[in-house]
Amino acid sequence: MLTAKVAAIAKPIVTDHLSKTYPGGVEAVRKLSIEVDEGEVFGLLGPNGAGKTTTLGVLTTLVRPTGGAAFVDGHDVVRDPFGARQSLGVVFQESVLDNEFTAAENMWLHARVWRVPDAAARIRSLLEAVGLAERAGDGVMTFSGGMRRRLEIARALLGSPRVLVLDEPTLGLDPVVRYELWQMVRELRSRQRLTVLVSTHYLEEAASVCDRVAIIDHGVVTAEGTPTRLVDELGHEVLEVQVDGDAAPVIDALRQIGRPIRTGSTVSAASREPVGTLTDRANTLGLPELGVTSMTVRPATLNDVFLHLNGVRP
Amino acid sequence: MTAGFVPLYQRRVALAIKRPIALVSQLLTPVLWVLVVGPAFAAAFHGFARQVDFFTYIAIGQIVFILPFSAMFAGLVVITDRDIGILRELLVAPIRRATIPFSNIAAILTVATGQLVVILGLALVRGAQYHTAPGRLLVGLLAAALLSAGTYGLAEFLAYRITQPAIFGTLIPAIGATPYALCGAIYPLSALPPGVQQLAYVLPWTHAVALLRFGFMGGHASGLDQIWHMHSVWAMALLSLGVLVAFATATVWLALRTFSAATTR
Repeated sequence: MLTAKVAAIAKPIVTDHLSKTYPGGVEAVRKLSIEVDEGEVFGLLGPNGAGKTTTLGVLTTLVRPTGGAAFVDGHDVVRDPFGARQSLGVVFQESVLDNEFTAAENMWLHARVWRVPDAAARIRSLLEAVGLAERAGDGVMTFSGGMRRRLEIARALLGSPRVLVLDEPTLGLDPVVRYELWQMVRELRSRQRLTVLVSTHYLEEAASVCDRVAIIDHGVVTAEGTPTRLVDELGHEVLEVQVDGDAAPVIDALRQIGRPIRTGSTVSAASREPVGTLTDRANTLGLPELGVTSMTVRPATLNDVFLHLNGVRP
Repeated sequence: MTAGFVPLYQRRVALAIKRPIALVSQLLTPVLWVLVVGPAFAAAFHGFARQVDFFTYIAIGQIVFILPFSAMFAGLVVITDRDIGILRELLVAPIRRATIPFSNIAAILTVATGQLVVILGLALVRGAQYHTAPGRLLVGLLAAALLSAGTYGLAEFLAYRITQPAIFGTLIPAIGATPYALCGAIYPLSALPPGVQQLAYVLPWTHAVALLRFGFMGGHASGLDQIWHMHSVWAMALLSLGVLVAFATATVWLALRTFSAATTR
């Protein structure tokens, strides 16, 4: 038992029954336990207020837990915050750059505070890796959102961290920049054998980038696993219908297929049945008579898993 | 404590240098006093005591304008760093968190040294006469440093307590400049109404300007006797220094406490 616990703590990220109750009684995280393996990209998914940012806050030593424990690279974040911070590179949700300085100056400050050996070469190499070598001498005030993010990722990697924490790294960026950013993270990760902990609202990104994800709601993990496994557990196909009028009879009818959820005028239910069988069964439910205006059968995604766990259920 | 101190200190000094307009505009009023208003006052009124050089008296008084005003102004950087700057980046750095406010204070003292040199240098060029000695000079400079650090402690405390930069902006002249008018910087405390005099005695500014004059002009021009009513000028100087030590210790302690509370949720 003890050996298993010690082995778990040696993992890059471990939370063990982690809890955080803010003054005033708001329970942001409740006995949350996750373990992230070395070299893994692990996604924390959940609606606003689910506890993702608080969990990342505890792991980055910005938030003091009120219960349980959290370890980064084997360092207890409460008892050994220095050790935890030494192992971390963090990219925050909002841009956190020194706006009065150039890209290179921002990198140099970080390098000196983190005491990075051979800093000049490392700064050059990382700026090249994120495509900002040509702009090293430019003030970051002139940078676009995507450039700022790339610079922040390069800066977070300066200290050769074992764990890279990305809090909503693509929030507010356009799709092309988001795609490029994830490509960059993939490349850097494979080059440096990094463990990446990421929180994101973009579930399609999480599905394509993360090896495993944990879906959090009200401070507890409601599902954890590989995106493929979570989708498989829900069902391969989703029957999605548009309802005009009272949705209650449609919801009752869809219970024969799977657990229905409703978002606005759309009601959907996931099923493990193949497309053909599902379409046949749907046709026998008499949905047009119940006010259904359109019906679609499509492959299930992580988005459906998320909605079934956190969405509005009838 | 030392890890990270030097780069953070250099960053704050660089930030001050990168804003030359702010540095120059803060210096404008005291420089005007030193170059124009002070000599004009001295020529028009011939001072209040024969043995006191009124121009030098006024010129040294300008130091207690520029140092606290500049320290209060520096509080804006704290707000910027907290709201849109790199504070959070520094909070996840492998350094002791108290290094952040301490490196800020060190940078403020560096900027204050530059301002002190400018004021004293310009005053010298304009005809100020300094009568100094190593011990008195040390006490005077220490007083300037304690006033600067103490006001910055207050600025950092307020910057973490006040969420809106606009509200903090209104406090810069209120705290940074108002005491200058009450502390005997341009006229002796005896010229103030009795009730205001009592208030002036508790202001750190009053003790700082008295000690600066003690350091650069000698005991007779310091005004320490008006505060303490004692015979020994050194005893009075040490008492005033004690007031400034208490002021700086209290505000820096408050700043550290507030910083810690604001950055640990």
